[in-house]
Order: sequence, then C-alpha cells, then structure tokens
Amino acid sequence: MSLYNNDIHLGSSLSTVEILTTIVLKFKRDGSSEDKDWLILSKGHAAPALYAVLAEKNLIPTNELWKIQDINSILQGHPEIFIPGVDMSTGSLGQGLSFGVGVAEGLKMSRSNGRVYIIMGDGEQDEGQVWEAATHAASMKLNNLISIVDANGYQLDDATEEIKPKHYLPEVWRAIGWNVVHCDGHDIISISYALENGINSRKPTVIFAKTIRGKGLPLIENSKKQKVNNGDAEE
Amino acid sequence: MQKSKGFSSMREAFGRMISELGDEHKDLMVLTADVGNSTKAVYFKEKFPNRYFNVGISEQHLIDFAAGLAATGKLPVVAGFAMFLMRAWEQIRNTVCRMNLNVKIVATHSGYSDYNDGSSHQSLEDIALMRVLPRMKVVVPADSWEVRRSLPVILREPGPIYYRIGRDYSPPITESFKYDFKIGEATVLKDGSDLVLIGAGVVLWDAIKAAEKLEQMNISTAVIDMTTIKPIDEKVIETYARKTGRIVTIEEHNVIGGLGSAVSEVVVKKYPVPIRMVGASDFGRSARSQRELLDYYKINDKSLMNASLELLRLKS
Repeated sequence: MSLYNNDIHLGSSLSTVEILTTIVLKFKRDGSSEDKDWLILSKGHAAPALYAVLAEKNLIPTNELWKIQDINSILQGHPEIFIPGVDMSTGSLGQGLSFGVGVAEGLKMSRSNGRVYIIMGDGEQDEGQVWEAATHAASMKLNNLISIVDANGYQLDDATEEIKPKHYLPEVWRAIGWNVVHCDGHDIISISYALENGINSRKPTVIFAKTIRGKGLPLIENSKKQKVNNGDAEE
Repeated sequence: MQKSKGFSSMREAFGRMISELGDEHKDLMVLTADVGNSTKAVYFKEKFPNRYFNVGISEQHLIDFAAGLAATGKLPVVAGFAMFLMRAWEQIRNTVCRMNLNVKIVATHSGYSDYNDGSSHQSLEDIALMRVLPRMKVVVPADSWEVRRSLPVILREPGPIYYRIGRDYSPPITESFKYDFKIGEATVLKDGSDLVLIGAGVVLWDAIKAAEKLEQMNISTAVIDMTTIKPIDEKVIETYARKTGRIVTIEEHNVIGGLGSAVSEVVVKKYPVPIRMVGASDFGRSARSQRELLDYYKINDKSLMNASLELLRLKS
C-alpha cells in the first residue's frame, strides 16, 4: 500500500499487523449482531494494517487496498464505520478505550457474550482520557474487555522514552485493578496465549505487546521513520 | 431561586421527567460525571439504579462511554453542566457525531444559571460549539413546561441531540400554551405585524414583557419561541421577516454563533431585513441570582425595547 501511497503510517501499521491478524482471523467471533465481538483500533493511524487484515477476511476487496486515501476510495486515512468490518470511527487518540467500556457494559446489560478488543498505542497512553476510562472499567470489573497496547517504543516526534517515559505503565494498570499480561507482539502464538489469558480473566485485561516499529522493513525498522521512498520499492 | 407564582426549576423538571420516561424506555440509561445531584439525574437512580452510571469526574470519558452504550443499542442520556460538557467537544465531534450515535446530551446550568459560581461555570458559548457539528441537533426549552413537553420527543428522535437547560430559574413562559413540541418547529407565542422578537430559553420571559410594553405603544409585536436552534424553523423566520420587516433576537449566550447568528443565516438567504441581537459578549461573573446577571449584562426587556425602537426608527 505504501508504494501506492507514501502518506500512510507505515511504521505503526507494521508494528500492529500480527496483533490485528491474530484477533481478526483467530479470535473475533462475528456471529449474530448481539453476540459478536467488537474490535476497536484506537490507534486509528494503523488503519492500513486493519484494512489489509479485513481484506484477508474478504470484507474489503483486495484491489481496494491500493486505493487507500484516494478520493474515490472507501478506505479513509483513519477507520470509519462505513468501511465493512470497522466497529468504531477512530483517529483521535485516547477515545477507543472509553467507547469500548461503553460497548462492554452495553453487552453485559444485554446479557450478550460479546467481547471487546481495543488496540492502543504506547504513545496514546499519554492521553488523560485513557486513565479516565481505565479506572472506570476496573471499577465495573468488565472482564469482557481486552486492551492491547502496541508497545513499539515510538510516538510521532521521537522514542516514547524520550518524550515521556512509559516503562512504569504496566504497574499503573495493575494498581488500578487490571489483569496485566505481556507478549511478543510479532509472535502469533505469544499473542494468542495473552488473549486466552485475557478471555479467562475475571478482571479487564491489558496486554503489553512488545513490538518493533516498521517490523519487516529494515529501512524504517525500529525508528521513527515513516516512509519508504519509491526508489526503495524492492523492500 | 424565585418563589413567585408560576416560577419553577428546570433541572427539577428534567430529573422528574427523565425518571418517568424510564418506564417507557427500557433501554434508557442516565449517565453523569459526578453531578447527579446537581443535575437532578439522581432521581432516575432512585427508580432505576441499574441503569444509572456515575463515571466520576471525567467528562471526556463520559461522552465516549455513552457513545459505546449507544453503539450497542442503548439510549444513553448524559447529564452534566453545559460548561464542563464542552470539555468533551472533541469527543462529541469525533465519536458521537461522526458515528451519528443516539446520544442525548442534557446540559444543565447553561447561560448564567450557575450565577453564584461565576464565569468558570457559566456557559455562553455552547450553542455555537454544538450548532456547528454535523448531525447534531440543538434544542433549548424555554421553561419547565417545555422541558416536560419536549423531553419525550427528544428521546424518540434518533441521533445526537444537545438539550440545553438552566438550573432553578424558570419563569412561566409556555405554561398557558397548548401545542405539541416538534423538533424543528418554532412556537409563535404571540402574533404581531410591526416587529418580531425571536428568543430561546428563559429570556423569552423578557421578550413577552417587552412585547406587552411595545403593544402599549401601539407597536404590534410578535414573539417566537425558537426551541429548536438546529435544525432551525426557516419557514417561520421567513414568514415573520416578510410580515414584520424587523427582527430582534434574544439569547442567554454569546451573540456570536448563537440564536441571533442562526436566525441571521436564514434571513440573509430567504428575505433580508434588519436584525438586532441581544445577548452576551463577554464572560460572566458571580452574582446573587440569575436574574441579577441578566439585568447586569443587559439581556432583558429594556434592551429588547431599545433595539426594537431603533429598528422602527430605521424604517419609518
């Protein structure tokens, strides 16, 4: 997709693609609308990865992927609910968890077995609203809620530790009352174990998925670099 | 709080009405951010404890939590101070409106109604901020009677609605009127042919008083209750622009972006006539009553009279 459109967030899409693949293709139950699982890509800038996985699931035609961000394409720069398979319009960081808490509580009130998966960025943890939502979810003991923090170590301007340290975050989530799990965010088996752990938890679960930004593209791997130039097309 | 005959409390009317509506609407949930007592949303809790949520002092989360509930088919009614709900403007825009979710936002303590707390708590910009949002409807009941008339309609109307009410000052404006509230339909409280006063909210009390005084001067004055500011009743505005040729608006809100602006947008398009706007132009301050502040900032019958006479001089 990046070869057709240089403006996509390539690095943070590549850090989250295995997480999305595991959830969408292995865990997410579609079923009837009442019992279906929800997937919220709170870090909406990883939309290209989401669209690619939705195409794998035949929800989006593969040839639409190359048209991402085109004025005539359904595929927007950030997810919109009019795109098949998208459960929440995102793009503004910090809102996915709050929305997910609302969905999780709504499902419980309807006696649905649906689960809510929310993917956030590590930089996104800077948003105060994440903590408004995290504390509320814990107080309501929403065990149908599984958040995944794609810990790729970078945010827009620089490495997360340079902008504002994040290493203590798992302890904060634990102190609030969440079940905290760690996994290798590029290893589908590791991700699956973490998700299983979350499914069986009596508390809401947050998974810290250690990832590498730009994974698979050495030119941008583990850096804040976003783009692969056309001359590097072989990559 | 005024104790005079006919005066009532708007938040009290909301709290009572929403609890009544809980029987009919099984999916109705009432949500607040630690202002259940202040907004009277707590009456709903007394009756339906399992459908009431206090999320703590976190307005941004409150809005998106409501959005999530709405996405699962629930009917969330968010109750909070108008001013502090504006803190979640971006959440209202990016989640509630973008997804066109069925979230009803009941904003209490609007205008100067939180008179004692001062400018930090007073909301004079919210109509402008909500009106600009695609898919958002904006409803401003005139008094407690109109709250009772309109709230059931609001709950049946799909999509996001900003419902702006005050606190305890609600003079009797629509008490003696018999009409069914419809979204997008204004109510003509008084007919007239020389001039029309268009208002929304408690300040319509001043419009009625001004109209009575103008009538004594043989100036035939119409008064329109523009309960729905968006979508605005273009038809009634055009009709009265043609009929009277002069419009004065009054609102407990900044004159930039509020009711006066909304009326003007219609008038310039349909039938241009001179307009004067009575409203706020700055932040408020503390006082002993809402009435005192309305008079202090000249959002009252006297200003309406002055503006009206100015327009009449302009044309005659």
